[in-house]
Parts: sequence; structure tokens; C-alpha cells
Amino acid sequence: VYGAQHPPLDPRRHRLSLNSKSKKPSTFHEFARSTNDAWDIDDEEDDGMFSLKQPSSSPVQSRSMPQTPCVKFIKAPEETEVVKSCSDAQLNVNAGMLVKQQSLPVRPVIPLVARISDQNASGAPPMTVREKTRLDKFKQLLASPNTDLEELRKHSWSGIPREVRPVTWRLLSGYLPANRERRDLVLQRKREEYFGFIEQYYHSRTDENHRDTYRQIHIDIPRTNPLIPLFQQPLVQEVFERILFIWAIRHPASGYVQGINDLVTPFFVVFLSEFVEEDVENFEMASLPQDTQRNIEADSFWCMSKLLDGIQDNYTFAQPGIQIKVKALEELVSRIDEDVHVHFQKCEVEYLQFAFRWMNNLLMRELPLRCTIRLWDTYQAESEGFSHFHLYVCAAFLIKWRKEILSMLDFQSLLMLLQNLPTIHWGNEEVGLLLAEAYRLKYMFADAPSHYKR
Amino acid sequence: MSGGAELGFTEHLFKVLVIGDHKVGKTSFVKRYVKNQFYEELKTTIGVDFSMKVIDWDSHTRVRLQLWDIAGQERLRGLNRVFFKRSSGALVVYDMTNGSTLDGALNWKHELDSQVMLKNGRPIPAVLLANKCDETKVCRRNASLLEKLCQEKGFIGWFQTSAKENINVDEAAKFLVKHILQNNEESVKEEEQNMQINLKQQSKSNSTCC
Repeated sequence: VYGAQHPPLDPRRHRLSLNSKSKKPSTFHEFARSTNDAWDIDDEEDDGMFSLKQPSSSPVQSRSMPQTPCVKFIKAPEETEVVKSCSDAQLNVNAGMLVKQQSLPVRPVIPLVARISDQNASGAPPMTVREKTRLDKFKQLLASPNTDLEELRKHSWSGIPREVRPVTWRLLSGYLPANRERRDLVLQRKREEYFGFIEQYYHSRTDENHRDTYRQIHIDIPRTNPLIPLFQQPLVQEVFERILFIWAIRHPASGYVQGINDLVTPFFVVFLSEFVEEDVENFEMASLPQDTQRNIEADSFWCMSKLLDGIQDNYTFAQPGIQIKVKALEELVSRIDEDVHVHFQKCEVEYLQFAFRWMNNLLMRELPLRCTIRLWDTYQAESEGFSHFHLYVCAAFLIKWRKEILSMLDFQSLLMLLQNLPTIHWGNEEVGLLLAEAYRLKYMFADAPSHYKR
Repeated sequence: MSGGAELGFTEHLFKVLVIGDHKVGKTSFVKRYVKNQFYEELKTTIGVDFSMKVIDWDSHTRVRLQLWDIAGQERLRGLNRVFFKRSSGALVVYDMTNGSTLDGALNWKHELDSQVMLKNGRPIPAVLLANKCDETKVCRRNASLLEKLCQEKGFIGWFQTSAKENINVDEAAKFLVKHILQNNEESVKEEEQNMQINLKQQSKSNSTCC
């Protein structure tokens, strides 16, 4: 299951089950204990993570493990095994799982952050007949002399199969041309162009007028994905520095703004995943050939640039784009869920206090990375996904927690809740439902007169 | 922002800003103060992060501190008016190992004073924190400079602190809270006086009326 149907089924039907599934902290103190982002994992008492790490010999127990070891299935297209039943899949998964678990270092961090590249946190089988059909459809579209981008968007909306995601993202972002023959040429030219920029500008990072920009980027990089080993490698940090510096000096109207650093990560991880069989998070970048490293870097730069082109006013002076979007969110929520809106007013919570980050970092701080990647499948499939549809996703995301929100009775507990929404266990399924609800909201409330109030 | 007194027990709720340039250690300071923990690398703060600290000040006073840890990057400053309002005190942080952040701290203080003030028009109490003192030493010249800066710029005092080594974290916060409580008492008294004056004036005007 790669997520929501397009157009979605009635999302309201799913809502109940979703709510009852989420573990909701019952007290203010439970939140106070874990005041970190979704993929920080410093609070060791969280969510029973420990049970996942313990080596288990029982297949039943490992069932709850997210299933990274299936990566191998999916990676090698020729050998792709079509699994017809859950139990088939489970057997294979379990076999891989045991080996994997024994080799896990004893560190309290692994399970949830480790799955950054993993698409099915919920433990579904690696590939069903339906998914195989979907994958074939993607392959067929991608292989045609002129990829039908409209068709590709339609299929991507409900999630892109992992093995075709890198090329699909390149196409959807407008980086790669639809014409198959031209692709290699364009890629080569763009990659050369990027490294031309590096040659031309990167030395200027020590110049008077660029020094501050570089310093800030340099300081922020180790803080971008702390605790994930991949991003602690100097080689990887240098890639991020170059990408961000070049982008910043080529866009003086905004320059480098904190938050933009996060936006490189999904592209980098997706393009890197093309060459990684195991978990991306522990991969040694240096083990890749130079050319491959350079290609990943250039592609990440260009795709991030395309994304930022659409939301640049989020990052210009005083961040007008964000202020407008937060206002729009407030207006939208006042129409779709008056209870929540009035509750915020009563507790003197302002949307800017929590939604600034939602807009500035495109919810990346609120969701595990695997969810952001899935979310971006849809954002790239939607027209104006990052700049417009995101607003509806934020509204759906907020309303998803309405019960919890309404149970918090003062400013503090509300803010603590909103800053630490418990999404750490989220996977494709949750994001799929979120997107379906966002789609419904957009359909019903975009430019709609207020008589659509429910 | 203070709760009602019940059997002589008072509960206060104060909003305290934590401001300063990026990467000076604001979030680390707050985490040390609230959770008594230190993290080598934290994500950059985007917008604002909230934390709560409850202090049993004495046998009949409880203080709830609402800490607003505000993102340090310049670009976001347009929003500070929204984030600053109705705050009772501030911790203004700079990084001792990076001199330019002291200038930054002074700018932050200036902006703070232009955005918020006490009811009586005086600036809200602000403490200057020379953070990361585990990495360097304050020499005597520095100390007298900081002393002078405090007087000139209207800080109620300064501390050298280390969130990493847990140096002066509680002390600095306590110092600030003490001043906030004093201000609070004064403003309560002033209000009472004003009320009495109003009452007198009212009764006066009433009497002349009749």
C-alpha cells in the first residue's frame, strides 16, 4: 500500500481508526518529558522503542519490526519476487530480520530513526500483486520515448514505488525532460553547470561579503540531522555546505535562511538510495565512486532549487510567504473546525507560535523523514504542491489531533502538544490518510464561500 | 500574570524570553535548566520553542516559568514583536568564544526594550548571559566591561554560564525570577494605590455631584 487513493476514498471513514491507533499521551508531563522533534530520539522512555531493539527469536515478535531487509527484493528489478500472500512475505522478512538484528550495535537510537529510507513502517509485505502492477505502470511510463508527465503525476499522487522514485522525482521537479533521448544529455549538462558554479563561486565563501553566509551554513550543517550517522560524515556535510552556499549566493533576495538546510535532505537521501542496498542512514558515502557522489550532489542541488523557486517568498526578508500561509491556515481552520479554532482563541494560542515551523520546514520537523519523502511524492505530483497544497496538509494535520487539542486546557499544555506531536511511529499509511483528508479539504474549502462550514 | 492567593499560597505564571544570536546556546541553556540535560548537537530552533519550569520559590510561592526560546537568525526578527509581547523578563545570551555575538546580544536587548516594557514604562528585567564559559575564561578586563555594559544597556546583571558543565544556570535564572517577583509586587502595590486613588476620586466626584 503506497498510501491514499487518488481521488481519495472518504477519509472520514478512516479517521476513527486512525485516532484510536495513535498513542496519546494523557498528561502534560508526558509531553514535557519529550520536547523534541519527531525524529530526535533522546527520550529513551518513548513509545516502547526498546522492545524493537531486543534480539528476538520469535517470528511473531519481529512482525512489528519495520522491514528494511526487504530492500533487496525491491532493489533488483529482474529478480523481483512477487509475493502472493502475507505469510510468504513474512517468512522472508523474518529470515532477514534475525540476521539484521544480531548485527545491530547496542545503541538506544536505532529503530525509528533508522528507517529514514524505509517506506513501510507498518510492517506490510514487501510487494503485493497490486504493487507489482503499479511498479510496472511506472516503468512503462518512464520507458516510453516521451514520458506522459500528466499520467506520471496521476500515479505518483498516491506514492511512488521506491525503486523508481529517484528518476520520477527528477522528472516531476522539472529537472529531467520528458523526452527520453534527451535525458542523459540534460543530466550531463546540468551536472557540469553545477560544478561550474562551484568552481566559479565556492572559493568566495571566505570573501568579506559571503563570509557570514558561509559561517552560518557551516554552523547549521552538523545541526541539520544530528544523530544520524550518514549526516555526520565530513564528506556528506561538505556536500550540503556546497549546495546551500551556491544556492544562497545565487539567490541574494533570500540568501540562506535556517530551515532551507532541512530541504536538501529528502533529495539527497532519495538520490543516494539509488546506490544503497542497506539502510541509507549508516551508509559510507566515501565508498561510492567520485562520479556517483558528484551526480548525487548536483541532482540534489537542482531539485532543491526547483522546489525553492516555488516557495522563495517563504525566505525573503520578514518571510512574507510564511506569514501569509499561517494566516491562511488560521482562516481555513476557522472554517473547517470551529471548535479547535475557538479553543485556540480561548487559550490565547496563536497559529504563528506553532505553524511557523510547519511552513518554514514543510512539516519536516513534525514528521519522520520517511514520511516527508512520501509526502513529497504527492507534493511533486500536485500542481503547486509545496506552495499551496501544503496548506491543506497542515490543516488536515492539525485537525488530526483535534481530540488531543481539545483535551488540553491551557496555553502551555497546548503548545507543548503542538510542538511535540507524537508522529514518531508514522509510516505510509498515516501519511496516506493525511493526504486524503487534505485533498478533501482542498476540494471542499478552496475558495469556497463560508457556507461550506460544517 | 499571577494566580489568586489561597490560604496565603500564591502561584505565578511568568513568560521569560531566551534571546540572542544563533548558535550561542539558547536551546542548550533551556534544556539544561528544564531537564538538566545537555546535548552536543541540537537542531536549529525554528520560530520559537516552548518549555515550562516550575519553581517552588518558597513555602507559599510557586512560580511557573514559560520559557520562550526564540530562533536566533536575523531573518526571523520581523516576527519578534509577536513573540515578545507580554513577557515578564528575558535571558539575553551570547557566546563567550565568539565576540561578535556580544554585539548581537546588545542589539537583541535594544530590540527587546523597544517592543516591551513594564506597566510603569521601565524596561523588563533582562540578564546578560556569557555562555560557553567552560571553553574560555572571563578575564578581569572583560568582567569590568560586562559590568559597564550592564549599567549602560540596562541589564539587571550578568553571569558567565555553561549549559554544558551546568555552571550558573540555576543561579542566573533565579536572579531573574527574583527581579520579576519584585517587579510584580511593586506593580501590584501600584495598582492597589491607583485603585484607591480612583476610588477616592470617584467618591469625591460623587459627593460634589450630589
